[in-house]
Parts: sequence; C-alpha cells; structure tokens
Amino acid sequence: MNYPNQKRVETFSIEINGRSCRAISGETVVDVARREGIEIPTLCHDTRLEPAGACRVCLVEVEGQRRLQPGCAWKVYPDMKVTTESGRIEKHRTILYSMYMADHQLDESGLPVETGNGNQLRELCKTIDPLPLEPVNAPRAGRPDDVNPYIEFNPDLCILCARCTRYCDEVEAVNAITLSNRGGETTIATAGNRGLLDTTCELCGGCIATCPTGALIEKKAPENLVTLQTEVTRSTCNFCGVGCQLDLHTHNDRVVKITSPEPGETVNDGNLCVKGRFAYDFIHHEDRITTPLVRGTDGELHPASWEQALTAVANGLKSVKDKYGADSLGFISSSRCTGEENYLMQKLSRAVFGTNNVHQCAAT
Amino acid sequence: MTNSIDEIRDSELMFVIGSNTTEAHPIIAMEMKRARQRGAKLIVADPRKIWLAEMADLHLQLKPGTDVWLLSAMAHVIISEGLHDRDFIEANTEGFDAMAEKVAEYTPEKAEEITGVPAGDIRIAARLYATTKHAGIYYTLGITEHTHGTDNVYCLANLVLMTGHLGVRSAGMNPLRGQNNVQGANDAGATPIFYPGYQPVTDSKVREKFENAWGVGLSPDNGLNLNVMMKEMAAGKLKAVYVMGEDIVISEPNVTKVEVGLNQCEFVVCQEIFHNETTRFADVILPGACFAEKDGVFTNSDRRVQRVRKSVNPPGEAREDWKILCDVARSAGYPMPDYENAGEVFSEYASLTPKIAGISHQRLEENVSGLQWPCPDESHPGTPTLHVDGPMIGRAPFQVVDYRPSAELPDNEYPLVLSTGRTLYHYNSATQTRRDAGPVAKQRSNFIEMHRSDARKLDLKHGESVRVLSRRGEVEAEVWVSPRMRPGCIWMPMHFAESRANLLTNDAGDQVTGTGEYKVCAVRVEKLSNR
Amino acid sequence: MQKPNANREKIIELLEHAGGVTEESVREVHQQTGIAEADIWGTGLFYTLLREPGKRIRLCDGLTCQMFGADSLANELTDAGKMVERVSCLGQCDLAPASLDENMELVTYAKHQTAISPPNEFAMNLAGEVDLTYSALAKVRAMDPEDVISALESSGLQGRGGAGFPAHFKWTSVRQQAATERYVICNADEAEPGTFKDRELMLRQTHKMLEGLAIAAYVIEAKEIYIYIRGEYTNEYRAIERALEESKDALKEYEFTIVKGHGAYICGEETALLESLEGKRGMPRLKPPYPTESGFRGKPSLIHNVETIACVPSIIHRGGDWFRALGKTEAGSKLYCISGHVVAPGVYELPLGVSLDELVEAAGGYVGNPIAFSPGGASSGFLPITERNLPLDYKHLADAGSMLGSAGVVVINDTVDMAKAAAWQLEFFERESCGQCAPCRIGTQYIRRQVDQFVQLGDPASLELTGDVGWEMEEGSICGLGMVAAKPLESARKHFPDAFKTRD
Repeated sequence: MNYPNQKRVETFSIEINGRSCRAISGETVVDVARREGIEIPTLCHDTRLEPAGACRVCLVEVEGQRRLQPGCAWKVYPDMKVTTESGRIEKHRTILYSMYMADHQLDESGLPVETGNGNQLRELCKTIDPLPLEPVNAPRAGRPDDVNPYIEFNPDLCILCARCTRYCDEVEAVNAITLSNRGGETTIATAGNRGLLDTTCELCGGCIATCPTGALIEKKAPENLVTLQTEVTRSTCNFCGVGCQLDLHTHNDRVVKITSPEPGETVNDGNLCVKGRFAYDFIHHEDRITTPLVRGTDGELHPASWEQALTAVANGLKSVKDKYGADSLGFISSSRCTGEENYLMQKLSRAVFGTNNVHQCAAT
Repeated sequence: MTNSIDEIRDSELMFVIGSNTTEAHPIIAMEMKRARQRGAKLIVADPRKIWLAEMADLHLQLKPGTDVWLLSAMAHVIISEGLHDRDFIEANTEGFDAMAEKVAEYTPEKAEEITGVPAGDIRIAARLYATTKHAGIYYTLGITEHTHGTDNVYCLANLVLMTGHLGVRSAGMNPLRGQNNVQGANDAGATPIFYPGYQPVTDSKVREKFENAWGVGLSPDNGLNLNVMMKEMAAGKLKAVYVMGEDIVISEPNVTKVEVGLNQCEFVVCQEIFHNETTRFADVILPGACFAEKDGVFTNSDRRVQRVRKSVNPPGEAREDWKILCDVARSAGYPMPDYENAGEVFSEYASLTPKIAGISHQRLEENVSGLQWPCPDESHPGTPTLHVDGPMIGRAPFQVVDYRPSAELPDNEYPLVLSTGRTLYHYNSATQTRRDAGPVAKQRSNFIEMHRSDARKLDLKHGESVRVLSRRGEVEAEVWVSPRMRPGCIWMPMHFAESRANLLTNDAGDQVTGTGEYKVCAVRVEKLSNR
Repeated sequence: MQKPNANREKIIELLEHAGGVTEESVREVHQQTGIAEADIWGTGLFYTLLREPGKRIRLCDGLTCQMFGADSLANELTDAGKMVERVSCLGQCDLAPASLDENMELVTYAKHQTAISPPNEFAMNLAGEVDLTYSALAKVRAMDPEDVISALESSGLQGRGGAGFPAHFKWTSVRQQAATERYVICNADEAEPGTFKDRELMLRQTHKMLEGLAIAAYVIEAKEIYIYIRGEYTNEYRAIERALEESKDALKEYEFTIVKGHGAYICGEETALLESLEGKRGMPRLKPPYPTESGFRGKPSLIHNVETIACVPSIIHRGGDWFRALGKTEAGSKLYCISGHVVAPGVYELPLGVSLDELVEAAGGYVGNPIAFSPGGASSGFLPITERNLPLDYKHLADAGSMLGSAGVVVINDTVDMAKAAAWQLEFFERESCGQCAPCRIGTQYIRRQVDQFVQLGDPASLELTGDVGWEMEEGSICGLGMVAAKPLESARKHFPDAFKTRD
C-alpha cells in the first residue's frame, strides 16, 4: 500500500564477513545481520529500545575502526565492511563471558543458573571455554522486602544491561525503576528502595519480559518452573479492546504463566499490561461455577445435570414466548465472549426464538 | 478504528478525546507514548487531568458533556481560517455548506463560556489538527456515553472529513473499543438491527439469505437495544432474559431499575463463569468457560480478527459457551448443525458475512498477527487502513449538529457532576481482577476522585469515607483528593460490586445507540460521619 | 516519561541544595521539576557527594596521599571520634595527605613545602600578573573566525585534558554543523590522581580561562558557556565567580553558567560530563556521534579542558608560531604537576617535552632513592626511574606504553611497595567506574581483588588471569576509563617484576 509522505529510505550494500548484504539507511549492523541470518550475540538489545551498547557482547570489527564497535548501535553506511567472527572477537567473547560469569550466580555445572524465564547469558557461556575467574562478589543490593505480588528482582542474576529500566522509561514510560549507585555497586533500584507498590510502577511486568537473564521473574509462577514441562498456547487477551496476543504456559491443565510473543510479531509488540500478564488467577479460582444450577420450588439454586438445566432453559423461554410473544424475550450477548458465541447467540435469538431483541454490553 | 494500532507510533499529532488511554487501553497508550517520544504532538481533551494529559502539549480540560461545543468550535476555527481541505471535501463528501453554516455559530469565545476551555487553546488545537498531515483522532466512551454521544461522534467525523485526515497512515478516526470483543460482537450480529456484518434485519433480501441459511422464517422488525430492553423489563414488558457473560446489575446505568426489572421477569437465564450480582436473579445458571478454556476469535479495536485458543479445560462440568448455546437451541427443538469445533461455527458465520468472507480459522493459523476486515475473499490480505481509496460507500456526509445539554445537570440539591469509568487495575465488574493480588493491592475498594476545593467545602480529607447520592441511588466510597479533577466534578470507577457506581448513573440513553449517560449525572457527596 | 515542561538539568543542583539524596529530598525535587522520583534517586546516588548526606571529613586516598600516610591519618581521625569518608583523589597531591572538612573546605596535613613556577614568559605564567583587559577577545572580534582557527592550527595546541587531540579540529567541526544552537563547555572536572594544574590555573589566572572561552564562543557562534567544575574545588569555584564579576562588562555578550560536579571522576570524560550537565547519571555516551556534532542538549558543543582553553588568549596575542616554539619536543609550554617524593611538589610550567629529571630539578630535587614515576595520572600507569630522561610529551610517552595524560607526575621512591601502589590506583578506578559496561565494571573489581589477594597472600597465582581481563577491559570498554584501568597493574608488573614474585 502506498501512503503519501512516507519517509524516503535509501538502500545500499554493505559487507558482513565478506558477504554482500542489502542495508537500509538508519539500520544498525545487528539489524542487517539478523535479517541476513548472521548471528551476532546480544544481551542488552531490545528492538523497542534505543540501543545502549552497554553489554559489549555484540562487538564486531568495522573496517577503518581501531576499536571493536557495538553492532547493536553502529549505524550502517554504504560499502562498510564488518567482521563478526575472528580470533580477536573470539578472544573478546571468551574473556567477556568469563567476566560475566565471575559476576553471576552459577549452578553446579559452573554455568549461569537457568531460570524459569531462561537465561541468555547461560546460552552464550555454553559457546566458550571459560577462564576460571574468581567471583567478584559485587555489592549489588536487591529489594528483599518488596511485597508487591508479581515482580521479583534477584541482583545476583543481574548483568546491569538496563533493559528493564530503559523499558520502564522508554516504553511503559512510568519511570518506576532506575539504575542506582555506581561501579560494582550499581543496581536496579526504586526511589527510596521502596516496594514497587509504593512507586509509579503499574505492574505491567515488561521489565520481566525484557530481562535477558531471569534476574527479574514472576513471583506468582511456580518456583520449579525451570524443570516443569509446560505447554504454550497462543491466544488473545480477554480484557480490553487492544487485542494483545498472549502465550499461555500451562502445566497439568493449569495456566502457570502468561507471556507476550516476541516484539515485532503481534499487535502488542511484546508488551502487556498488568491485567493481561498477571490477572489470570480467576481461571482456576475456587469460586468458579462448576455445575449447572436450577432454582427449585424452595426459591434456592440447586445443582442440576446439564440435561435438566438445558430443558429448564428451553421450557422457560418457550413458555414466556408462548404467553407473551417472541418480542417479550431479550437476549443479552457478551462482548467478552468470542465471535462465534456472539454469532450463535444472535442465531439463538433470531432463528430459534424469533426475536431481534439481541444486544450486548457494547457501550460499557 | 480506521487505522491500525501500529500506525500510531508514526503519528505527527494525536488528538485524544474522551479516552483515558493509559488506563483503559494501556498497550495502545504505549504506542502513543512511543509516538510522543519520537516527537509527535499530543492534544488531550478530557475533563480530568489524566496521565496522558500530563505529557500533552495541550490539555483541553472541558466540562463534562460539552464536547459538541468544543469540537464545533474547532470546526469553526478550521473553516473560518480556511484550513479545511477543499479538494478532499469536493471529491469525497457531501453537505459541507450546511455544516459550515451551523458551526459558524460556534465561536471559540462562546465555546469558552460553555466548555471552560480557553478560546486560544481551542484555536491552537484546531490549527494544529488541521495543518498536520498524519493527525489521528482517538476516542472512547468519553465521547459515546452521553445522551448526545452520536452527536459527539458526528462532530469528530466532521473534523476528519473537513481536513481530509482519512485514508492516510497514522491519521483517521479511531474509536478504541472498550472490551476484548466489542468489535467482534457487533460484527457477529449481536445487535438488534443488524445480522452479522451490519446487514440490516429490515432488508428483505438480507433476511431471505439468512432464512435460507438457517431454515426458518425471521422477524422483519428491528429489535430492542440493551438500554431499551432494560426499560421495557422494568416496565414489565420484557418477560424473560438470557444473559451471557455480562453483569447487567453492575454495568447498566441506573441499576436499581434493572433490579426491579429482573425481579419482575418470569424467567432469567445466566450463562457465567462466576456468581455475580446478576446471577442472584437467575432461574437457571449455566456454567460457561473463560477465554483460556475455549476456541474462537476476538476482534480488536483495529478490526483485527485473532484466535482464542483453548489451553486448559473448563472446571468441573463447565462447558465452552458456544457448545452451551448449541445445546440450548437443540433443547428448544431447533436443528443446530453438529459443529465439530468453533472453526466450523466461524465458517458458517463468514459464509453469510461478506466483510469477513475471506477469514477462516485455517487462515488465522497462518497469519500470526491476525487478519483485519474488510477481507472479502481468501486471497485478500486484510485491510490495515480504511478508506485509502476514498469512503467505502459513495460520499461521506457532513452532519449538522445542534448542542444539547446532558440529560441531568447539577443543581442545588445535587451540585456535583459525576463521571464514571475504568481504572488500569480492574476490569468492568471485576469478577476477574478482584481475584488477583496485584489489582487488589493497588485498588482494594471503591473511591471517588475530587478536586481539593470541593473537598474543602465539604470538609473532607483524602481517604475519608463518604456517601455519594443521586436521584437514583447512593453508594459509599473513599474520597481521593486529586489534582486531576475539575472543580465541581467527581469521578468514580465502575468496578466495585459492593459500591456500584451504576446505582447513581442516569439511564437516559443516546437517541441512536441507546448508550446510557455514564459520563454525566448530578450527585451530592456527604461526609459519612455527618449523616 | 518526561513531561513537556520537566526540568531535568536542575535536579542535581536541587539535590545538593536539599542536602543530598534522601527520600524526602527526592520527593521535593520531584515536585519542583516534574522528573520521576526514581530518576532523581538513581541520578543522585551516582554522585558520591550526594550520597549518605550528613557531615563528615572526606579524606583523600589518591596515590600520593596514600604514600604520605593517608591510612594512618584516617585511623587517627576516626579514633578522635571524627566521621571519616575515604574519597578518590581531591586534586591536592602537592599537599598530601589532604582532606576536606565538614564544610567542604580544604584541610591539609602536609609536612613539606610546595611551590609553583616563578613568573615567566610562558603561556600560562601562573605567578605572573593578571590581565583584565580582555584585549585578546577584543582583537578576535575584529578577526575573521577562520583566521582564529588558523592561528590555533599553527600553534600546534593539543588538548591538555589528556587526549592530546589537536584543538583546532574541534573548532572547525563545530563551525561546520548545520545547527545554530551551539555551546562552549569548559571541562574543569580535574580529578585524575596526581593532577592539580587546573586548580592553580583557576585560582591564579582565571581570566585567561574565561577569555579563552569567550573567544571560542565568538568563533563557533555560541551564546552560552558552561563551566563544569568538580564539586570538591570550593575555592576554585569562588575564584571563577569572582572573576566573572570582575569581567562582567567584557563578557556581557555571553551567558556563563558554572555547574558543580558532585564526586564522579568519570564526568571528566566529555560525554559523561554532558550527561551530567543534562541532569543524568554520568555514564559516557557511545561515540559517534561526537560532541562537536551532538553534544549538550543534542547540539554541537565545543568542549575543552581548562588549560587548553586558557592557552588561547596568549596564542591570539603572540601568534601560533610563538606558542609552538615554547615547546621542546612538541608545541607549547605545559603545566606539569609534580608530587610524591620530591622536595617541592607543585605546578611547574615548562616547555612541553622536558624530562623527569628536568622537572624534578625545578621542584627542588628527589627525596630518597626514586625507583618509579607515574607520568600522567593513574591512567598512565608506572614507568621505571630508568626512563628519567624520556621527554614528557604525548608521543614519547605513548611510544613507551604510557601517556602524558594530564601531566600529573608522581615520583615514587624505594619506600613504596609497587604492588601496593598498583593496588591503590586500581582501587581508584574500581570506585570511579560508572558501572555501565561489563568489561570495566567487572574488570576493575576483579583486578583490584586479585592484587589485594596477592599483597595479602603473596601468591602470584592470584594474578594469573589479570592480563586477560586487562586485555578485555582495553578492547571492550565503552570509554577511556575502562580502557586504561588495568594499566597500573600491567605496567607495574612489566617494569617491576620483582614486586610480584612469591612473597613469604
């Protein structure tokens, strides 16, 4: 589709590892490489955020540059030549990952610990033969007293890539969390180290979703989520009209976690709000109605079989219709239910009971 | 929405009116924030200084219910300064002159008196909107939940048409839908005047098509909209209701009247996942399934049809709602087809509905980001932006709109204007969100927001308990003294069953849509200890 | 998200006025500026002078102060019931050991004499008469700006802050930018251990700096001039205020703003300085873009060190060739700071390219048996005393694997354990790392720990992997701090291998 006034883009070619690649002005080395299927590792990169170039994992060689340069931030220009694999880069990655390991919680196998939300650093560290650096035990403070029900921060798994704080500033724009202190003491903090409930945080959980190492995790997910066999079902959020796509993680017929698809894939671009991501306890709540109920002659509702209940519904509606006519019936459908169900409700109203008195809560 | 959600980020100007986007549509608000950070201008028109207003270039803090004045005055400025798009008007519209003549009466100075918005700000807003190419209007129920809601919408449409902001990326006219499937429920024909796809029930050709498809004769008469149904029920004329997935005793305006009606009904069926205020009146309750337990589609605000997929089983004997509806039909003696799955229901629906004829569950498997209607055939890619090639049918008409005040205005007895709405943390009747710790921790119980000058008059401190009374009812709530409010106006969320905002609201409905006047009614606030 | 009228640039100053970072002060500043509380909190805690508000003595633990017994002094003061905070170099190395009292006033515990160059014919002439005429500025205003830049080019003036980048390039680059909103920024955040030259310049020849800044503003067509001065320089701040008052007529076309740093060495890095000016954490930006294209507020900005900019009036008066000829091996005269084991520590202006012996001679000679020197601050590492005849200039020192840097020369005699000397410098970098990038943040911690461990246990195995880590710090860090932070250890091990052998 042609829109008037769309920005003009310039395309040209660049060379990555000797291969000619098409590039568009404004793109970065990582943008082009990803499209071309050339792997450049990243940790602090998130397409929704301004590049930070802070994790240094994506450093590449750019012809004419003395120093290695961050591929996530380095803008392409015509005929530039980039190398993403070399002895120098391999040495850099080996030592850098090893340094990260010296500043990270490791498991028995000596790798960064796996979390319920994965750990991209662990995956990177599997690709090297790490140097046995002694741990630095950085004095990075957490917020153990934060009683918010959803979001937990484990400073021992934090690599300070600042994706969470940048997300909170640049995307959610509530600025509830911040980088705080300096050097080895740098950590993720709130004003006054208060619990998130006492900040501007809207509990969207986007910080969890963007965290590459699982330093931020859902409090309500089961603790053994790492080892749990879960299935993932893509669906659509049932709250407001934005239509965010969700991945429902289930185990033993229970929803145990909800995440967003990757940024760029769906209408919500990797984002969710507090309701979409966290407000799913209702699904398995003990208050759910689990059996049909029919009001008895005593005026009380009593459990009934489906057959009894369906017969009662059919007879009840038919007898009113017989007495007062079809237009004495009203069918109130639901904008919370599916399209198919709304279709069937109006069909029930019109085809089965003969009235156009069908509507739903469209305006509330 | 005429445009798509992802177009928002490339906006040059967003005019947000009657939409508390950050709370009611948080993810769309994220796109607005993104646009803002990329340098887009933002104009917010809202009686409250909502979150979005704080980062706006211009906040038009109008008095509730005066939108027609504000918008017509903007039209006045655009036309009187010659900022309208003559070519677009010539090519695509009709009735410009009559509309122009009408808005000539709405001068910014008079508008200032009525709306409370400085005339200068109205001019700036009008000029900015008219002279920016990628300028989109975004609105929600703050526009529609009035007795003159349709007029408000007409005024917005006039602005769009006179500036040619249609069929342009990141522009257009964009109602943000309140619920997950408002768009889809309307599309599917859960409306008293249309079969699926907005095909009129009074059109005999259309009716014939549906009679053939469904194998029965169908009523040629328009049905009653929800607002009228509630009134007929209270008047004893509507004798039985079948309510699926809606808590009308919380969500309809003036719920006392709804309760009276339900008490009079001879037969009430509720199909629900939780007991709620409405199920108290049910003769039969059918246990339904929540979104995680069934298959189907939701259609979002930008007309995007997306899949809902079953991930867990319904609890106990609860069933998928589409199956229940089929069972009810069969019990009533109608030969509902033996649909194998929700996809087959959708196929039947699509086969009768040209707008979505090209969509199927199968195609939705392949299109991870859904398909946007119109999508008339299987090779059609869907339509992200409407009206790129001009209006859909013929010429778009300008509307002549006369201002009518809201149905109930404040007086000595009820001196404050109450508006109601949603918060970020809860959803509608909150049967779902009040069962989760986060929303409860953030907002445990009902509250009103009130300007400090009103609070001072009533000797109220932040956090004190008050009683709010209207001609229709009264509720108790906490008072939050809030810099967001206009003096003389209070605001209350609709989420709390034990303190129902809709005991207070006015059920006077819009003439066309029947939508209740949730945004304006007259109330009085009393300090609880004084009573 | 920033509200349209939010004023981020003011938050650091407001925090200072509120007495530092507390929950209350942060809320107050939030209400005053509209900036989110978390952002104020996180920004404030980046700066040590805003942390843990409360009155106390700040005792320097820079290299020279350590050599002159800062540790035992700290113990004495603590035993006397004082609240003592150990802080990074205070820029008073000639007065070592030095401290700031509870009111940020300088207190020295030095037991030796200090000195500066006597009046001379050099560019700075610290002890010379103060020229209040602003005649260089007047002269420039009658000149084509391009001719000013030509004079700079012929002078051979290189950036005196440490990088040694030819000054005229920056001026030309700023002038080439399309944006007309431009800024001149003076980097007075002198904090490299061993360095205190800008201090003397600001105290004694303030007007040379101000005049140079005004000339720069004229040439790049800027209206606003910012002077970013380290917060510990209380007297120097006053001196600038006073000088601005004295010359307000001559400078009336320009708006001068003095902005205080708050205890973050990294803010001497020019892009970190810009972040700090904008009210943010002083974390260096990725380059490109360079400040000359996108600097303060995203606009072209000319940033110069105090000494660099102060050279400009003399160059205008006496010509580029005159300035160039002042040097011995490279162009111009240079302020050398010298401290440590010499008779009269101080600032000496000498031809660029003098040797250590020549410099020490000016400072009254060596004390004790010198074994090493650090020629240009912590970043330059250590050289053995055998290099005493090497010209102290940009090129020769770079070739020797060191750098002239800020010309903060520290002489070390045989009473000092070189492993400990390295550890002191490493501790400085560890404390001053901004924490943004992993190589520097983790590397500075790792290397300091390993050296401490070696000093404690005497086992060279502790140091086995420090070379690799140092390599990555140099390759992988965002800014110069990380790149040089392993230098003290690396150079000490190279030149003093005996200090790193197994100890009993």
